[in-house]
Amino acid sequence: IETARVFDFDEFPTRDKVTYMYYTGRLEVFNDNFAQADQKLMYALVHCDPSKEANIRMILKYLVPVKLSLGILPNEWLLRKYHIMEYNDIVQALRKGDVRLLRRALQANEDQFLRSGVYLVLEKLELQVYQRLMKKIHLIQKQKDASRAHQIKMDSILKALKWLQVDMDLDEVECIMATLIHKNLMRGYLSHKSKVVVLSKQDPFPSLSGKPAS
Amino acid sequence: EEWDDEEGEKVALQQWEEDWDDDDVNDDFSAQLRTELESASAAAETPAAS
Repeated sequence: IETARVFDFDEFPTRDKVTYMYYTGRLEVFNDNFAQADQKLMYALVHCDPSKEANIRMILKYLVPVKLSLGILPNEWLLRKYHIMEYNDIVQALRKGDVRLLRRALQANEDQFLRSGVYLVLEKLELQVYQRLMKKIHLIQKQKDASRAHQIKMDSILKALKWLQVDMDLDEVECIMATLIHKNLMRGYLSHKSKVVVLSKQDPFPSLSGKPAS
Repeated sequence: EEWDDEEGEKVALQQWEEDWDDDDVNDDFSAQLRTELESASAAAETPAAS
């Protein structure tokens, strides 16, 4: 890998450049460098011979989890065409805020995700799903009473999680809320004493839009 | 041999949704969530009232 730097990358044949970007992109995935992984795997995808569907599928198996980590969703068409529908429920879980669906999708494809090494990457998407769930709770409260919607009771969050069959106590919920705030997936603060999350009135749920969660 | 990059580029660049995070709460999941939240607040208020 290091020796390639003494040559001019552009001089290599396209197929070799695609292969190089595929493998180095995979390495970036394992090192949690999602921005670089995205760049390399996208290069591989753009330049891959479109008739080599098996190769495109191999690239997508890593690129899709990377894109999801960056808050970017693949079209269903892409998942269907390249037979990677195992990602479909994960995409739906992110769209809805359905923690139960995410956990089920991970469990159902556990062997496969573990074998390709993306399981841990996908597991971390749970925070984004919590973000989405909190946003939904906020929007629903807003429709009912806009003046108090920026305060979300821990009790409401617990009830939502119980419905989603996520068994959690108050301390664990507080911990997740603190993590959401720390990662800038949610803006606001939590009141431990009164058991509420107080959301910022301005953009309480910043979207990742292409940047890794810090 | 080299190939035409155009088709691959089209697939690569157009199949991703960056701006999907809408404010829509009219789906089934949200409707069920609403029901759960409303029953939750009722359950939480009962012991306090008694």
